Order: sequence, then structure tokens, then C-alpha cells
Amino acid sequence: MSVLTAESLTRQYQLGGHVVNALAGVDFSVSEGEFVGIMGPSGSGKSTLLHLLGGLDKPSDGEITLAGNKLSLLNDKETTLVRRHNVGFVFQFYNLLPTLSAEENILLPILIDGKDGKQYQKRLDTVLKLVGLESRRSHKPDQLSGGEQQRVSIARAMITEPAIVLADEPTGNLDSKTGKIIMELLRRSCDELGQTIIVVTHDPRAAAYADRVVFLQDGVVASQIAFSELDDLAVRRQTVIDAMVELEA
Amino acid sequence: MTLTRLLILRSIKERPLRMLLSSFGIILGVASILAIGVTNQAALESVTRLFADTSGKSSLIITSADSDGQGFNDNIMGRADRVAGIGVMAPSLSVTTVLAEELPPTEIAFSMFGMDQGGLSLMGIDPQVDGQVREYELVNGRFLSERLDDEEIVLVETFAIEQNLTLNDWVEITTPYGIDKLRLVGLIAEEGAGRQNNGAFGVVPLETLQKYFDRNRSLDQIDVVIDKPDASSADVQQLKNALQQALGTDYAVLFPASQGERVVQMLGNYQIGLNFLSGMALFVGAFLIYNAFSMTVVERTREFGMLRTVGMTRRQVTRQVMLEASVLGLIGSAIGIGLGIFLARGLSVVMEVVLGQDLSRIELPIDLVIISGLVGLIVTLFAAAIPAWQAGKISPLEALRIRGISKEGWFISDGWKVGIALLLVSTALLLWNPFPYDAQFRLGSVAVIALFFGGTFMIPSSVTYWERGMRGIMRRLYGNSGLIGSLNLERSKMRTTLTVAALMIGVSMMIVVWTMTESFKGDLEEWLDGYIGGDIYVTSSVNMRTDLWQRLQSVEGVQAVAPVRYFEVKWYTPDGAEEDGLFMAVEPLAYNEVTSFVFDQTDNGVSEEAALLEMEGGDTIFVSSVMAEKYGLSPGDSLELFTKTGKRPFVIGAVVVDFYNNGLVIDGSWADMRRHFRLNDANAYMVKVNEGISIDTVKADIDDLFGDRYHLIVESNLAIQERVNVLMDQAYSMFDILALIAMLVAFLGITNTLTMNVMERIREIGMLRSIGMSRGQVILMVLAEAGLMGVIGGVVGVIFGILLSRIFLLSMTAMSGYKLEFILPISRVVMGFLIAVIIAHIAAVFPANRAAKVDIMEAIHQD
Repeated sequence: MSVLTAESLTRQYQLGGHVVNALAGVDFSVSEGEFVGIMGPSGSGKSTLLHLLGGLDKPSDGEITLAGNKLSLLNDKETTLVRRHNVGFVFQFYNLLPTLSAEENILLPILIDGKDGKQYQKRLDTVLKLVGLESRRSHKPDQLSGGEQQRVSIARAMITEPAIVLADEPTGNLDSKTGKIIMELLRRSCDELGQTIIVVTHDPRAAAYADRVVFLQDGVVASQIAFSELDDLAVRRQTVIDAMVELEA
Repeated sequence: MTLTRLLILRSIKERPLRMLLSSFGIILGVASILAIGVTNQAALESVTRLFADTSGKSSLIITSADSDGQGFNDNIMGRADRVAGIGVMAPSLSVTTVLAEELPPTEIAFSMFGMDQGGLSLMGIDPQVDGQVREYELVNGRFLSERLDDEEIVLVETFAIEQNLTLNDWVEITTPYGIDKLRLVGLIAEEGAGRQNNGAFGVVPLETLQKYFDRNRSLDQIDVVIDKPDASSADVQQLKNALQQALGTDYAVLFPASQGERVVQMLGNYQIGLNFLSGMALFVGAFLIYNAFSMTVVERTREFGMLRTVGMTRRQVTRQVMLEASVLGLIGSAIGIGLGIFLARGLSVVMEVVLGQDLSRIELPIDLVIISGLVGLIVTLFAAAIPAWQAGKISPLEALRIRGISKEGWFISDGWKVGIALLLVSTALLLWNPFPYDAQFRLGSVAVIALFFGGTFMIPSSVTYWERGMRGIMRRLYGNSGLIGSLNLERSKMRTTLTVAALMIGVSMMIVVWTMTESFKGDLEEWLDGYIGGDIYVTSSVNMRTDLWQRLQSVEGVQAVAPVRYFEVKWYTPDGAEEDGLFMAVEPLAYNEVTSFVFDQTDNGVSEEAALLEMEGGDTIFVSSVMAEKYGLSPGDSLELFTKTGKRPFVIGAVVVDFYNNGLVIDGSWADMRRHFRLNDANAYMVKVNEGISIDTVKADIDDLFGDRYHLIVESNLAIQERVNVLMDQAYSMFDILALIAMLVAFLGITNTLTMNVMERIREIGMLRSIGMSRGQVILMVLAEAGLMGVIGGVVGVIFGILLSRIFLLSMTAMSGYKLEFILPISRVVMGFLIAVIIAHIAAVFPANRAAKVDIMEAIHQD
């Protein structure tokens, strides 16, 4: 069953008097529990697609259906509520509030929803265990490493049990070892919690953790690769690199 | 509540520096509103008390319209009593007498102000109510009993000692029927009412005095106190009109002599000045608060963006910012009140020095404390509303960007249009002054605030031009770092605008204060030159008889002596309306020898000498240029004055420049005064000393020869001018303090802006350091940015200050009728600009140091 579908998505920008087609008709869907990677060269429209899918931006044309909600029919407030309850975001630069502890940052979406954080202790413990930060729960962001901060932001994305987690270059600001930990974490949350995830990345190693990789070029879906469960990471990575080379050629 | 605690209280706790900078605006705003308010009130109360001490507390006096010296019947009290708004009515009867054993004076002078009789002045009063009108300081015995027909008297102590009178003695006074006796029951100090007639003064029960002087049921004056303790001059004017209407034209309802229109206008001027400054303080306070909050929003764009991505609605974001504003508003207002009380005490000390009055009696008005606290809170919420709304509008996409994109909003691109409109409208309002009397201070202040907003709106569109124009200079002064610093100015036009505006307000406030000081001084000097002519100025606590004129002339070294006598006169405008003015009687030729009139125009252009001879010839007067302009009078016209013999036409011989009594002055000859007004004494003698003779020697001689005998006050013109200058300097030191506050505000504004700039650009500074920028260069870069803000703020502030000063002076003239010449203090203008530039640099030291200390590795890895 599809958690997310995008039909004929276009997005145009005005840039210095010129019209730029960031997306020029993208059809795309994600099934429940699926882990999708989105790749493509710079300017291919990856981030734009992610912003549209998460309801952060509005398409020029086309329709997005997220957890049964047609986003084009919603006003700003309704979109915000859909985002609040159905989408978790993970950013390249973590975006944690420096004044809050790790667990307070994680509980932020719950608190914003006007709920009492105490009622979510069980869920909090679950995500903290998932990201492996039980012992660092009361630390402030400046007391955590980059990888730990990113794990907090993943936990924050998952606290509401959203329909989908959207991650924008989640390893872009991390060294390869920490990046690997983060991708393994996302993979595990997909496998163990059934979390649907979309990751935008240009790192083939990160993309190799996905079940399916969608390649964008010039604002359209250029190709897709679906991995078999049997493929190991090295094979997957090589497949992604080959596809990229082919695309750029 | 949890969310509030986490997002707001935690934020306040964890970022004390930023919170301090944010709330400093509120603290300073509230403090200056309170301090200026308290000082304003204290100063007004004190000046009012100064007059009340000497003239009594009455708001109005009722006298007979014709000066036949026979007074009026006391049944008028009943008629007056029916007028609403009267608190107290104190009837009195004044007579001049001598003690039985004393020789009668050769002439009992006509009394104009009730303090120049010579002999013994007695006042018949109602002891029950008189204490509410006049001050009596009992030093011995008791005051009069409440019976109106007891045969007793209370004398001024110094007079009693002089006359060897002690308590319980019988005081024998000369009456039209011989000698009558009064028992001396009490002695009062030569203070308050006891100052009258130079201390030769006593009070007697009203009916007793009426009986002794055959003035049965007759009164000379009723002192009226308005029933509102804090009555404004408009209230008094209203009561005056009501009383006059109820009593009819046989009676004159007047302001007490020393609370005449001149004093009302003077106080009015003072209040207008202070109210303008209060308005500015309110603007600066509101402005700082707005500044702090809009910066908070800019700084936290990504944070708000992130909150939006995780599901916070626009309204929630706006509410969070508003809640933060309330918390900061409450904290800031509370601290601001404390600081305001402290500042007010300081300002009160200055006022004490200025007014020579003890202000320690003045309590801190609780209503003012509450009002300033509320203003702080409301202004905070109001000022935070726009940034809060902007925060709500932040797109969640902002969170995904490394840096928030500062969009050129409407304020930056089109704000100047609103700015011009605001400038034009507020300037027109201030000059035209269409506000009703009661509201003109407040609405005037609003117009001033609008004027500043207009100026602020004009800044953003001009930043680019300033930056381009100054770029080369900044590069030359600060090297390549200066170039980067200069370019940085354009990166956040909003922030630059707010900082430059803070400086602009500070500098323009300084210029306004300085210009007004210079103009007041210039005006005062001009007036002093004409008013106190000659080398020596001789006055007395009693009016001086003309025999002194000859005696002064006979003193060795005296070249000429000119007597001057001022008295109030009624005159009629060309269309028949009755007006009050001041008549200055002079001996034209002697006056011209000692000092001189400043002629504006004469009849048919005849020589000034001829005009003086015409005045000498009689029935000719000079009018001031203000009167001539106001009533369309010119030389050759005829003006009717109300004299002892009724209405009488006088020819206008010349128009002269005279600002005394707001220019409502008619000059006439001594002979005319004697003939038509039956006066023959002088308020002052101006003495001109022969060239080469020491002024001090002549002054000492006059004092030795006549000082005691005539109760003279002999002063050299120079000493008077110096004394006035010292007083002026003291008075304006208070305004200097206000200017200082304004600059402190600007200083904090720049520190605030630059610190936030540095905090926002830490990554960038780290990057610049990583590619080889030294710490020194980083400091220069920040200093250059600050310096450029200083230059813009200084120049705009100076221009604005000059503009505002002119508007203030013109609108003050429009509001009070008191004309002030505009004098531009060039050296102060230069100083204002330099102070802006220097302050900008000093304010940048802290943020520049902070920037220089940025750790490169930390900075470039910062998200």
C-alpha cells in the first residue's frame, strides 16, 4: 500500500528573470515500510522533490498524496498538521535547539502538539534505545558529537511514529564511519519498526542501504534500481555507482 | 506550559547575553519614560511652588474693574460662590497707614502689586480661610482669632523689632479718624505673605480694619483657589471666564500678578520642551524593544523554520514570540522601573541645583510608576507583534538552508514612500498645531514620534548609496578588512536601518537639546541687553520714588540715569477688542542715553531721534514689532489705552523690537505715565557710568549712599548677565543628561546589532580566519562596519536634529506665542557627528573582540 504518491509533479522557480524547471513532471510512489533513496547530480531536483513530498513547499503542478491526504487541497494550517502527525524530518545540519537536552529535543514535536511529554516516555525510551543514546539523554547538543546530534534528530523524526521519515543528506556533515552508523540506524528503524523512509543523498554508500534508489536528472526520474534482499552492501554500492556513471554519460 | 517553559524560559536562562541585550531596550525605555516623567512633574511642581510661595496659592483674584481705590461690596462673595469649581475664597482689604509715633510719609504711593506702599501695609483678612491662600509662618505668639471683629494684629517680626514692639503691646496706627489701637498677638516671619511691603506688613481681622478705616463691608480683593489640586492652566482659564461672566464687567477677574500670562506661558514652554523629550524617550524605548525583537527573529530564523517543519503552526510560532515578549517585557519593565527611580533621583538633584528648591519632598508618583511599567509592557508587546508575525511567516524551508535568506521586504524597498509621507504629515501637524489645548502636548509628542518613524523609514533605501559612497574611504582607513566590513552593511539592511536609526535619534536629540539651549540663551541675552541697559541696574523690593533719580545722578562718575516703570495696561485693538499689555514708561531722552530702543520702523521714516522727541512731547507711544505684526499696527496709527481718565488715543510713533512679556509691550513717556496713569515711581533705574570710571566703584558708592535708605539692590549689568548664564547652564545640564541617555541608548543599540551580527556570522568569520584573515583584520572588519553606521547615523542625525530643532522652535512659538530665534551651534553639530562616529567605534569593541576570538575549527563546523 502506498504511503506517498506523487503524480506529474512540476516545480518552477523564477531566477533572475529566467524560469527554472527544478522538477519537470515526476511520478513517484513509496510503499509502507519501504526505504527509498533519491540520487542525482547537483541541480537534478532531489532536494526540491523532498521539500514537496514533505509539504514544505507547494508544487507548481501535480498532486501529492501523503498518508491519504491530498496536499493540494489543504491550506497552510492543515498542511502543518499533516506534517506534524505524518512526517519526520532529518536534516544535514541536525537543527537541534541548543538550549534543550537531547530528550527534550526529541519530544519537541509532541510538545508542539500540546501533549504531555510524560505520556510518551515509553516511545521516548524506544527511540532512544534505537538510536543508542539512552545514556546521553540529558546532554545538550553542544555536549554531543555530530553523529550523536544526528541520532537525536532521527529520534525526533520518529517520536510521533510518522507515516514517513524524510532525510535530506543525513550523512552529508559526518565522517564515513559516523555516516555508516546513521545509515545502519535508519535501515534498522525500517526493518525493526517498519518505518517508511526516503533519503536524499549523493553518497552511493548511503544509497546502498535503501531498498530502491530513484535517480533524478534535469527534474525527471531518469531511472530506478530495486535491490534484492540478498545483495550485500558492496554489490549494492557498486550498482549505484554504475548507474550514476551511466546517467552522467 | 511545558513548551513555553522549554522554548522561552529555558531560552532566557540559557542565553543571558542575548536576553540582556534584548531587555536592555525595554529597561532603558521604561527607565527614561519614568525618569523624565518624574523630573517633569517635580520641576513643574517646584516652579509652581516657587511662585506660590511668593504670591500665595490663589489661582485667581477678583478686584473692582475701576481703580478708584474704594473697593467693592462684600455681597459679591455670594454671587461668586455660585460659580462651580471654586475651592476657597479669601476676601481681603488692604490699607496703608503709619504707626502713630512715626512721621507720615510725604506721599502714599499708588499700589500696583500690593507690595510697594512704604509705611505700614495692613491687610484685613478672614483668619479662618486666609491661611489657605497665603503662607504665614508664625514665629511667636498666636495667629489672629477666628472672630472678625477682634481688635488685634499680627506683624512681621523684623518690623516689630525695628519698631520696638513686643507681644501684647498695643500697636497704635493712624486712621482717617485719628489713632486706633490693636493688640499685638503674634509675629510672623518675613516669608510668604510676610514679604509684602518689604516686611512692613501686618494682618488684622477684616471687620476691625473695615471699621477703623470706614470701609464698612468693603473689600479690595478676593483671592480664589480652584477646587482641583492639579488644575491645569486651561482649567484656571475656564474658571476665570466663568467668574467674569457671573460677576459682570464691574469686576475684574485676574491672574495673580506673579502668575500672570507670562508665567503661564513660561511654564507652558518648559512643559512643551519636556513633553517633546518624553515623546522622544517613549519612541526610543519602543524602538529599542522593536529592534531587539526583530533581531531575535532574524537570529532564530532557522530555529523557527525547524519548529515549523516539525509541525508548529504559524499561530503557535507567533504566540511563542509574543509570550517571550511578555516575559521579557515584565522583567525589563520591573528592572526599568528600578533604574528609572534611580535616574529620577539623579535628575531631581540636578533640578534642585537648577531651581534652588528642595525637591526631596516630592514623592515618586505611584501612578507614573504603574503607567511607565504598563507602557513598557504594552510597547514590548506592540513592538514584538511585527517580528512575531514575521516569525510566523517563516517558511519551514528556511530550516533546510545553511543560512536564512534575508529577503528584501517591503520596508526595505518601498519604506521610503511611507517615510516621506510621515515626515510631511508630522511636520505639517507640528507647525500647524491644530490640536485642542488640553491634548496638544500628547498629540504633539505623537507627531514627534511619527516624525522619527518617517526618518527611520527613509534609511533602508539609502543604505546602498551610503555604502557605495563610503566604500573607498573605508578601504583606505581600514584596508581590505574595511572593504569587507563596508560591504557587510548591505547584507542585513533591516538591522543596519534599526541601528542607524538608534544613532540618528541619539544625535538628533543632542542637536535639538543644544540648539534649543543656544536659542534660549541667545533670546535671553538679546532681551537682557535691552531690558537691563546701562552699566548698573538699581532695583528695590519696593518701588522707588523719583527723588532717587536726582540723587543717583549726583553720584560721582554717573553719566546718566534712566528710570523705568512697568505696569499693566488695558488697550483696544483696531477692531475694538480689549487686550492686556504691559506699559513701559521711560524718560525717552535719558533712556536713549543709557540704553536704546531697537527701532524697527518709524512714522514716515523720520529719524529715531525725532521719534524719541515725539514720545517726549506726549501722547505718543512705541509698540513692539510683535504687537505691530499681530494686530496690523504701523507708525502713525492711533491706539486706544485705558487710562485713569478713561479711554485715550495715543499715536504710534515707532515700532521697536522688544521680546519682554512675549512682545506685548507698549512704550510711553514718563510724563504720560504721570499724567494719564497717575504713577510716579520707578521699578528700576539704569545707570550709565562715565567712560574710564570703574563701574564697581560707582556701584559701591550708590550702595553706600542710598542702599539702606531705599532698600536698594545695586547690581552691575555684567554680574546679572553672568548670574543668568550660570542659571541657564545649570538648567540645561538636565537636558544634557537626557541627550546622554539618548547616546547611551544608541551605544547599546550598536553593541546589540554588531554582537548579533557576529553571532550570526560565526561560520563565516571562521571561514575568513581559515583562509588567512588575522584576528586584527577581523577586528578591523567589524570596526569598519560600525564606523560606517556611525557616519550614516551621525550625518542623518545632524540633518534631522537641525530640522527638528527648527520645527520645535516654530511649534513652540505656535503653541505658546513665545518667539525664539533659531541659532545653529556649528561646533556642536560637528561634535554631534564626531560623537556618533566615536560611539559607534567604542560600541563595536566588544563584538569585534568576540569575533576575533572565534575558534576556527568550531566555527566552520557549526551548523
